[in-house]
Amino acid sequence: MHQSTIDLWYGFSIALQPGNLIWAVVGVLIGNLVGVLPGMGALSTISMLLPLTYPLAPVPAILMLAGVFYGSMYGGAIGAILLNLPSHPPHAVTCLDGYPLTKMGRGGAALGITMMSSFFAASVGIIVMVFLSPALVRVATRFGPAEISSIMLMGLVAGATMSRGSPLKGLAMTVFGLICGTVGTDTTSGVIRLAFGMTDLSDGIELGALCMGLFGVADFIVSVNRLNTSSVRPKVTMKDMRPTGAEIKKSILPMFRGTLIGTLFGALPGTGPTITSFLAYALERRISRNPERFGKGELAGVASPEAASHSKTQMDFIPTMSLGIPGDAIMALLLGALIIKGIQPGPQLISDHPDVFWGLIASFWVGNILLVFLNIPMIGIWVRMLRVPYRFLFPLATFFICIGVYCARNSLFDVGEVAAFGVIGALLLIFDFPVAPIVLGYVLGPLLEENFRRALLLSNGSFLVFVEHPICAVFVSFSVLIAGVQIFSFIRRPPRQKADVSLPTPRFPLR
Amino acid sequence: MRVQRLATRNRLGALLMLVTGAGVATAGWSYHVGTLKAMGAGFMPVILGVFLCLIGFALLVTDRGVDQTNKSHAASVDMRGALCILLGVGAFVILGGLLGLVPASFASVFLSALGDRKNTVRDALYLAIAATLVGVCIFHYGLHLQLPLFSRG
Repeated sequence: MHQSTIDLWYGFSIALQPGNLIWAVVGVLIGNLVGVLPGMGALSTISMLLPLTYPLAPVPAILMLAGVFYGSMYGGAIGAILLNLPSHPPHAVTCLDGYPLTKMGRGGAALGITMMSSFFAASVGIIVMVFLSPALVRVATRFGPAEISSIMLMGLVAGATMSRGSPLKGLAMTVFGLICGTVGTDTTSGVIRLAFGMTDLSDGIELGALCMGLFGVADFIVSVNRLNTSSVRPKVTMKDMRPTGAEIKKSILPMFRGTLIGTLFGALPGTGPTITSFLAYALERRISRNPERFGKGELAGVASPEAASHSKTQMDFIPTMSLGIPGDAIMALLLGALIIKGIQPGPQLISDHPDVFWGLIASFWVGNILLVFLNIPMIGIWVRMLRVPYRFLFPLATFFICIGVYCARNSLFDVGEVAAFGVIGALLLIFDFPVAPIVLGYVLGPLLEENFRRALLLSNGSFLVFVEHPICAVFVSFSVLIAGVQIFSFIRRPPRQKADVSLPTPRFPLR
Repeated sequence: MRVQRLATRNRLGALLMLVTGAGVATAGWSYHVGTLKAMGAGFMPVILGVFLCLIGFALLVTDRGVDQTNKSHAASVDMRGALCILLGVGAFVILGGLLGLVPASFASVFLSALGDRKNTVRDALYLAIAATLVGVCIFHYGLHLQLPLFSRG
């Protein structure tokens, strides 16, 4: 513990060197901006900025790229709450309650709460990363494929039940997402699956295209000429950003719970921030005394997932930096940047390159403090973006989505995928299916398949492996429990009355 | 009447899942399925396809003729708007490859803007010009996007 404090101190001396600090600032600034812009994600931005870092030394390069990542997390929350556009998948769940809050005129307070929980959660994540990093790494290395598959199973079941309305429909969408994840080349056999003869699909469906189609274009399609534009132009000033005492009190506990979930799941390789934020939301809704208020502007539904995704973001760096296992595509990109610099990721990274590891950790804190102070005065700029009427906004957003998705892989085919998923998403919305679980299934699909395959290969095809290992047994029984409670409550519920159907309800696309 | 329409919509959704699941399972069957111990490429698609079919079937059976989600904002879609937005995205794909960034940007904004019934042609034109200028500045000069400003095929 004492050693960690010394190392952290050393990290600050690295991060605060002017040459490093300036690049970290550039990174968080760019990240924040692209996070707000609809259709622009951290993934495409980091890919675009990667060539810019070639002339830099390893430390400023990784500080800048990491800054883009967590800067975009702050910016993404702004886009999700004020514009209902999740430019980064973990924020999909923030839209559910953040956007209704904006429509109720409390968007500013929601942003304030988001900043508060993000900063708190990130700080907790950093502290855990500093002091428990070696121990957590030891636990994570003991996980076999069976454990990882059972954790993913629980994430999927929880994600499916999180969606509003029928749990069956949520489950259907999760399975649909898993199917989307199987598209492309099978890693084990090299067979190209479900590509309809299109070679561009051999790399699989592009994550950005999937999200932007389902959450961007599909939403424009179902709301164009149907949306009462007066309701989407809230006024948020710096003063509004200050949540009331009651609002803070309401968010404190969800913030703690979200941070806890993010931290717990953060140490496990293979669970991205999306799953954790979905889980945090599901938990809040489960334990809430009035779950029907979720999706209509409940602050807990903003504070908890945001806290979870931010602490998870920090924790994600543990397996990435110490084991060399990236949790998601962004982490993989950061690892790629390190490899280009001649730094081999793996357990030896912390000892071989302490300047990179500890400098990065210290710069997280510097960057997070910077982001909080940056976002409060700049809120006026983000709000000005909202003053644009919807009839101008959606064509512009369509354009940004097209060009943003194109940027990620320089592929026009990916932009075509956006259109395809726009149509699919619109159809699903018309049939009252929740589209958010698709992303969860899509992200987890390939990882689940790989680990599931490996687990059964090791157990000689016996399913008993999922019950015999104690860690597996716990996660599998949790999954069964969640599913069982859902089915039970579904069977017990009497058919709703007709009056219930015609209740006027607020419009929001992510269900 | 309204309840009946919702019921039809629910059933159509369930059928969509059934058909999708069946399609995926059939496609998966054509790859190598393998065994539990040594799964082939088709194993997951077949399992998932069958599972989606079962869910679709369960949705059909449990359909109670009322909307479980108690709202239906997406019940009707404005065809002009939907078509224009899709044309906008499509124009970006086609013109981006044929003519370059400037025509693609202009067309995507112009066409999708026409989807809103309150936008006049002049509104759409101005919006498209402004967006193209900003887009070119940010993406071509700022971020060095690899799409040329103008190209010929």
